[in-house]
Amino acid sequence: MNENKFMSAFKANAIWLVFIAEIAIFYYFNPKFLSLPNIVSISRQVSYYGIASIGMTFVILIAGIDLSIASIVVLVNVVCAHLMMNMGWNMWLAIIVSIAMATLIGVLNGFMVSTIGIPAIIATFASQTIFRGLSYILSGGLPIPDVLRYDPSAGLNGDPILGFFARWSLNHWSIFPRTGVGLIPVCAIIMVICFAVGSFILNKSYFGRYFYAIGGNEEASELSGIRVNKMKYLIYALSGFFAGLAGIVVLSRTGSAQASSLIGFEFEIITCVVLGGVSVAGGIGHMSGVIAGVLIIGSLKSGMVMANVSEYTQMVVQGLVLAVAVGFDCFSKKRQAS
Amino acid sequence: MYDIQEELKQYYSEIDPLKRLDILNSFPEDESINFLHELYHSRYSDHDNKGRKNVDWWLWRCICLHQLYSRGGLFRRFRDKEVKRIINELYMEASSHQAMLYYEYRNVARRYLSTCKSGNYASSFMGFRKADDDEKVIRACQDIWQMSKGVAWSACVEDKMQLWVEAFHDEIEDYDSLCKEEYERLNSKIRRK
Repeated sequence: MNENKFMSAFKANAIWLVFIAEIAIFYYFNPKFLSLPNIVSISRQVSYYGIASIGMTFVILIAGIDLSIASIVVLVNVVCAHLMMNMGWNMWLAIIVSIAMATLIGVLNGFMVSTIGIPAIIATFASQTIFRGLSYILSGGLPIPDVLRYDPSAGLNGDPILGFFARWSLNHWSIFPRTGVGLIPVCAIIMVICFAVGSFILNKSYFGRYFYAIGGNEEASELSGIRVNKMKYLIYALSGFFAGLAGIVVLSRTGSAQASSLIGFEFEIITCVVLGGVSVAGGIGHMSGVIAGVLIIGSLKSGMVMANVSEYTQMVVQGLVLAVAVGFDCFSKKRQAS
Repeated sequence: MYDIQEELKQYYSEIDPLKRLDILNSFPEDESINFLHELYHSRYSDHDNKGRKNVDWWLWRCICLHQLYSRGGLFRRFRDKEVKRIINELYMEASSHQAMLYYEYRNVARRYLSTCKSGNYASSFMGFRKADDDEKVIRACQDIWQMSKGVAWSACVEDKMQLWVEAFHDEIEDYDSLCKEEYERLNSKIRRK
């Protein structure tokens, strides 16, 4: 391998080297960082980051942004818990309805951005505020606790079919949060499947090419026959869908729904995506980089908790990471152009 | 430089598909004009059969080549296969009608470049920071280089894409005075490798 090939391989995989270096540092200061329980705990924690970051990757690839992700996750949390705990709905039905609602919110974002023409940052910020507010209204500002102890037979009025599904879901609800295949938690498996789907969409499907094309040159994409507006609807709908799925994983992990949770979550997701090499200018980025970005942020959070770093300092560090990631992206663009 | 009949120049300088069709239909039929009709239908029809209107298939394949330039690693085999498919679709290996193909390729490049002056092109931060004119020119030059010379080099098909690369190079040189230097800079990058 000559020097240039080595350098390009180094540049292409630099993000993974950062991840390895980060792990080495945390391991050096606390050998328990690489203990099995901690790895399992990190994989649980990064699962919803990973799932939500897939939708955000699509959005940033078309030079857009989705600030409503955290609110969608929280609303799905609250709605799903409300349907199960307060209305006695079947778990699967509640999950499907919640995710469908999240997808519709994505469609609404797509409508505001592509049909009305509101800048993505404003449109999704409006959605963020609206749906966070709705979460507070629905939950009355109070947490909906004990979701993991939900009794699915309540409120079914003796319907035999719903009753069957209720009993079945009662038996299966518990697999979601705590157990998995061997040592791998179910939510981590869901994340891996989602990344595989996201990677397939980006690399193997025509949709992925459309996403890159729109991000690279929207007008040329339109002239070449891509229905840019419809694609924007699809992309924001996908973002909503993955945020909804992340919301279900969060609910299964925490066992309670709280409208005031996950403040600033959208910026953590943006950090993961941009850190993974997806350019904020659009058209550039790969799913493998995003996986690395998610793992880096997940390990960073876990490592800082283990090192007894205060929550406020953690916020400072995460802000710095976001600034460095975006700054690096802008710097490399500038250098390329000069 | 390739020679073409004087009356064809208007056809090649026009980038709007409908106006081009009008000009094309005004030509008397002969063997070379039949080939132009074939090229026209190859370029402006939906090869995916998705019922789309106003498709510029060649422009789309141009965008695909731009994306394929940066594909490597695990997707190298996929990239090479796709580049070969595009070479066949866009008549890049045809041994006859070289002049017509050359000017058709330049027309594709010109149509792409016509989109590089729009307000959103090369903008950053979700469209909040607009690029200035020089930045747009440099970025357009990089795009053109990547979808011609760059992808031909990375997929090792420079001989097969020679006419395509030549047409794109000539078009970008005529586009702006800044482009010559930038194109040369990009070429020197791969020469070093």
